[in-house]
Amino acid sequence: MRILIVEDDPVLADGLTRSLRQTDFAVDCVSDGAQADHVLASQNYDLVILDLGLPKIEGFEILRRLRRRGSRVPVLILTARDVLEDRVKGLDLGADDYLTKPFDLPELEARVRALIRRGQSGGSSVLSCGPLTLDTSGRRAMLHGEPIELSARELGVLEALMMRSGRVVNKEQLAEQLYGWDEEVGANAIEVYVHRLRKKVEPGGVSIRTIRGLGYLLEKPGHAPD
Amino acid sequence: MRRTSTLRRQLIAWLSVPLVVLWSINILVNYDIAKQFVNLAYDRALLEVALDIGRNIKHVNNQSYVDLPEVALQMLQSRQSGRLRYLVTGPGGEYISGEPSFPAPEETSEDRVSYYDDVFLGRDMRVVALRVPVQPGSGRGAVLIRVAERVTLRSDSATALLVRMVLPQALLIFLAIFAVWYGVARGLAPLTTLRREIEQRSHRDLAPLTESTVPREVQPLIQAMNDLLARLSASIAAQRRFIGDAAHQLRTPIAGLKTQTELALRQTRTEEDRATLKQMYTSTEQITRLINQLLSLARAEPDAGRASATERVDLGKLARETTTDWVPRALARNIDLGFEDQPSTAGVDGDPFLLREMLNNLLDNAIRYTQPGGHITVRANSADGDAVLTVEDDGPGVPEAERERVFERFYRVLGTGTEGCGLGLAIVREIAERHQAIVSLFPKGDGTGTIVRITFPRAATIR
Repeated sequence: MRILIVEDDPVLADGLTRSLRQTDFAVDCVSDGAQADHVLASQNYDLVILDLGLPKIEGFEILRRLRRRGSRVPVLILTARDVLEDRVKGLDLGADDYLTKPFDLPELEARVRALIRRGQSGGSSVLSCGPLTLDTSGRRAMLHGEPIELSARELGVLEALMMRSGRVVNKEQLAEQLYGWDEEVGANAIEVYVHRLRKKVEPGGVSIRTIRGLGYLLEKPGHAPD
Repeated sequence: MRRTSTLRRQLIAWLSVPLVVLWSINILVNYDIAKQFVNLAYDRALLEVALDIGRNIKHVNNQSYVDLPEVALQMLQSRQSGRLRYLVTGPGGEYISGEPSFPAPEETSEDRVSYYDDVFLGRDMRVVALRVPVQPGSGRGAVLIRVAERVTLRSDSATALLVRMVLPQALLIFLAIFAVWYGVARGLAPLTTLRREIEQRSHRDLAPLTESTVPREVQPLIQAMNDLLARLSASIAAQRRFIGDAAHQLRTPIAGLKTQTELALRQTRTEEDRATLKQMYTSTEQITRLINQLLSLARAEPDAGRASATERVDLGKLARETTTDWVPRALARNIDLGFEDQPSTAGVDGDPFLLREMLNNLLDNAIRYTQPGGHITVRANSADGDAVLTVEDDGPGVPEAERERVFERFYRVLGTGTEGCGLGLAIVREIAERHQAIVSLFPKGDGTGTIVRITFPRAATIR
């Protein structure tokens, strides 16, 4: 996996390069817009981490040229600006994600992994959360390598939760996931499915938290509070 | 301090003092003129009397006498309330007719007609002396006819004349002063309006004052004030931009520091180094938060270089989404974060970006100050048509004495031991004020914890 980092601050560029190399990525790093444009035109990468305020050629312009050349490489914009309009502009120009400086390293790494996974067409369809895995194409869930018996609706709820693992999934999103099986999925029905699902996965250490008034959240075991 | 006099008082003083002085001079001059003309007229009348007498003097054998019936002479004397006195003397000074006590003239003029002032019978008198030759060309001398009249008669007439001339002038002066008094009040009315406009202004409103309604003389003053306002707002905007720019500029080096610290933490094996790096990491977190809040504050202020995107905001939806974003942070601290709303929560006209920022700061504070195992509840609902947003926590609460001060910038409640920088609630209030919303902070019903309530009045809109 090759990653290009376009960042003009040497300390940040060095930190990013070393941390991503530790995660076994091949990392190239350039510090100005002209170089970035040149390298992107001649070589292939699996991900570009792009700063916006760059010398010579601005980040947005590099992105515009990259997409004009037809490249579909995932681009993660990294910027000191967090003005909403800038964020929208970046995403409109074809960026895949947007992270504001300063950021948490684990969060950057998580997004890098997600973007690379998304970039690989037909890549792994297996979602995982700690000991729990879900093969979305085979529609099979495993806990500690053991298959678990789930109804189609329970599987739908689990898929929705696993796709956003660690984040809150509200009842509307769960209902949307189940739409197609049932014409109308009420809030009470969702509570029932979650309750059943909880009984099946919680013995394995994975927990489904109820977030008051907001929805549910799938938690890995050992996700201890700081 | 010297009390500055009012424009009206000054104008009236500048107008009335010269007017009264001129008027006084005018009285003197007019009195003089009146006296002159009255004198002329009365002298002529006096001479007429003397001439009348002269025409009726007859000379018979060197004897002269006045050939007027006694009745006519008495009439003459009684004319003008008897103020007229006369004496006719012959060429040798011998008495012919009239008032014998008439004093002799101080100097004898040889003119045919002469006038002089004299005193007799204890009164000021005006006297005309007329010489009538006994027989022209004979050298027999002349008969001297003197007629006297009291002077007071003349001064009374002159005074009467003067009063008639001067009274209308006095009226004119009073009218002029009143006109100025009234005119100034009318003329200054736009300034009073202007004063009210300035008094009612918010300290944030640095828009130019309206020039068109004030008199042209005052317009340069308004222009100068508008110029000052423009420079002031430019300088404030520049300062805000500077804070914003500085915060932006700091973000990249802080990101570098933070990344390197996190990297070092992963690679370090010795406990001592880890402890040091953890402290460094905590510091970078604090700086990050401070920078983000400075940026928020710079953005929350009007004219921060960012056009406010006003729209109808679904407060319930916005609060739900924002609260959802904070769930992982709350869970990491083992805090139960929940949300409650009414389906019919009133909408708010506002800037969704700023409103989100406001709730972010409230939640950040609540999560920071609530102990693990605590509860935080965000509520969005309507009360009497107003949209209300509340964040309730069961943290340590804010002592009553500090409830107003916590909204000040960089103010922190002592002894809370949390690494806040004291800008969160300042941002909340700044954003609330821009939305004409009211922020209140009070404990829960049982006296513990904190409830922060933001009330958006029904008709409120973003400024």
